[in-house]
Amino acid sequence: MTTRTEELLLNVGPQHPSTHGVFRLVVKLDGEVIKEATPVMGYLHRGTEKLAEDLTYTQIIPYTDRMDYLSAMTNNYVFCHAVETLMGIEIPERAEYLRVIVMELNRIASHLVWWGTYLLDIGAMSPFLYAFRDREKIIDLLNELSGARLTYFYMRVGGVKWDAPEGWIQKVKNFISYMKEKVDEYDDLVTGNEIFMARVKGVGTYDAETAINYGLSGPNLRCTGVEWDLRKTKPYSIYDRFEFDVPTQTAGDCYARYLVRIEEIRQSLRILEQATEQFPDGGEIMGKVPRAIRPPEGEVYVSVESPRGELGCYLISKGKPQPYRVKFRRPSFVNLQLLPKLLVGETLSNLIAILGAVDIVVGEVDG
Amino acid sequence: MTNDEKQHVKNEDVTAAKDAPEEKAVSEEKAGPEEKAVPEEKAGAQEKTESGEKAESQEKDASKEKEVAKEKDKAEEKAEKDAVEGEKKAKKAPAAKASDEAGKTEAEASDPPKVAKKSGDGDDAAKEAAREKAQAARAARAKAAAARKKADEEDDKPKPPSPNQPKLDRIVEMIRRRVAEDAIEEAYINEADRHLPCVVIRPSHWLQVAQLLRDEEELKLDYLRNIAGVDHETHMEVVYHFMSFKTRDEYCFKVRTDRDQPSVPSVTSIWNTANWNEREIYDLFGIDFPGHPDLRRIMLPDDWVGHPLRKDYEPYDPEV
Amino acid sequence: MKGLVKGLGVTFKNLTRKKVTYRYPDVPLKMPDRFRGIQHFIPEKCIVCNQCARICPTQCITLTGKPNPDPEKRVKVIDTFDINFEICILCDLCTEVCPTEAIVMTNNFELAAYSRDDLFKDKDWLVANNTNVRSENSLNKRAKGAN
Repeated sequence: MTTRTEELLLNVGPQHPSTHGVFRLVVKLDGEVIKEATPVMGYLHRGTEKLAEDLTYTQIIPYTDRMDYLSAMTNNYVFCHAVETLMGIEIPERAEYLRVIVMELNRIASHLVWWGTYLLDIGAMSPFLYAFRDREKIIDLLNELSGARLTYFYMRVGGVKWDAPEGWIQKVKNFISYMKEKVDEYDDLVTGNEIFMARVKGVGTYDAETAINYGLSGPNLRCTGVEWDLRKTKPYSIYDRFEFDVPTQTAGDCYARYLVRIEEIRQSLRILEQATEQFPDGGEIMGKVPRAIRPPEGEVYVSVESPRGELGCYLISKGKPQPYRVKFRRPSFVNLQLLPKLLVGETLSNLIAILGAVDIVVGEVDG
Repeated sequence: MTNDEKQHVKNEDVTAAKDAPEEKAVSEEKAGPEEKAVPEEKAGAQEKTESGEKAESQEKDASKEKEVAKEKDKAEEKAEKDAVEGEKKAKKAPAAKASDEAGKTEAEASDPPKVAKKSGDGDDAAKEAAREKAQAARAARAKAAAARKKADEEDDKPKPPSPNQPKLDRIVEMIRRRVAEDAIEEAYINEADRHLPCVVIRPSHWLQVAQLLRDEEELKLDYLRNIAGVDHETHMEVVYHFMSFKTRDEYCFKVRTDRDQPSVPSVTSIWNTANWNEREIYDLFGIDFPGHPDLRRIMLPDDWVGHPLRKDYEPYDPEV
Repeated sequence: MKGLVKGLGVTFKNLTRKKVTYRYPDVPLKMPDRFRGIQHFIPEKCIVCNQCARICPTQCITLTGKPNPDPEKRVKVIDTFDINFEICILCDLCTEVCPTEAIVMTNNFELAAYSRDDLFKDKDWLVANNTNVRSENSLNKRAKGAN
């Protein structure tokens, strides 16, 4: 007797918790094994680049908040950095330290969201609550500084909007010692867990060559053993003043990406520790910026290390108050390209584990 | 009140605002501290308008001034060259002429009182001196220029060759030799962007060049960081930013294409990064990428009309 | 097995810790002073300079002025002032450019409504929204020399 088999077409998303936003994957299944996966995106496309052509430089910054909404500070920064590079604006020391502190805090917050939701994806409920408990502390800090919990709009071309309120730096210091303890707790809670290991070890493996060819960056690249972190290799802002390591793993699987991110939280804490220690006592928070921001004619491409990888901003100015063209290199978008290739031959349950480990923010994928 | 009615009211408001143009202050988008310091009672809309206009004209003057400064510098350079040549008699005439010209333009520039005040005594000294001796004028103006604009420093002396010039020359030579003599349209250093070497390649040779870039041992540009489409209104451009993990060198490559039938060979077969990026550019700019495995829209719905990031884009349905 | 036991250890340790959750709708949340909530509008201070409407990235502010009732003064006074909270992104730019602090931020943030029409707030509503006004605004911040 022969059994008749049939391919099954399954839509994962667009409304599915494990896609972390509105993102759809059309998978062709043979039994439980994926034959083909086609990502469908654009549900959250707001045309940031088009909108930016009609806005002044200051007005664009709040829009950048909304691309990668888990690390709005790095988005703010990359845009301001592009304009500042083009205009040759000097940033005051105090503003640079504030920028680094908020970006690193934001990186930790972003990794915490990833850690929590990733484990939620693969079936562990409580890590999510732990992560959000601690992320709330970061959000409170950033809220106190910038006046918003998620869309900070904290940076301006030439500096930052607010100075640190009284006692804020001390609060950050307290948070660092608190968080150090907690990261170890996370390790105890999850890292050695047998069920977790069975789900992620050896799943979604790729090598360095593939990663580079597909343009991956951030933890997705570092999990293959490539030591590449823009903060270290092409230092921007004042990152060259801090001592920190670039965590890498060689396995290239989901577990390696997990370990890289956990270690990155520790390294960010190290940077924060030094930054709060060196934080200048006084000084300006805004550089000398002309009243109307009109960068000279020219173009510039700058990139920074966001929690998800290389976040770039390609800016063309024609000397007008509005930019001629802004293009953001969005790491989530580029990192996601490898997904269809990774998924072929995997089981459906591994789909969630692999997709989650890429760490996408759909607002950024769709731009 | 329903939504429609409200919309209506809103529109009326807008027209009302248009009817009374004098209340629309023409000040710059960010009011400076002086403007803000105006006491609220006295600061009428009228005054605001004035100060705003002033700010704007000041702006313009500032840029004008810059140009003038550049011109002046040129003149100075000329004069200095002449001075080096010696020959006092021969020198005096052109130098004086040049400085006179500079003085004239300067006088024009310093017409608005505020600007004149800002640029200070140096300018006045320079003006007077210009009428006297070329020698004195040069000294005074050099002082004035130095005091006025530090940002213009680069213009003062001939630019030193870019540190990346050898790299650019090397890559240009390599492409000329290995691909085709006429493969390169233009090659320059983008100084604003930390002296990034930029090469503009003709679309017909782009695929060969791309292959060379990745495989050549010396270059090994294995990492395609960013692809951006740009609509320059006269032509379309696709901009590639490369990096090598081996040498850590960065390069920028551009391919220009016709605006009506934009087409650039796809490099997806060489760097897989290009796949979705090219789809995005196709989606938003309408640039065709022959050789792309799956050129579909990626951000917008498949039945979308037009390519939004083109400068001449008109929304098919303006209500959306 | 070891990993599981270790993880359980963490769980048990947390049993005795203090609660960290908020009792939000029952107990109102207190936001820090700088929090960007809903704007408060002070018509007496407004000089109808239109700067807020022009700086707004989403063009959610519409305002009109009328001639001053006092014929001696040439200064216009505000007639209507509306913010459309459907599209307002609470970015703080309007309060930042306002030369007279006629529009300031408050810490109030509860905007949820059943109808979109309710999100269109007029002058009276914004004037009445006068609690928890932010103490640190662009103007006095500048005066302090922090900027």
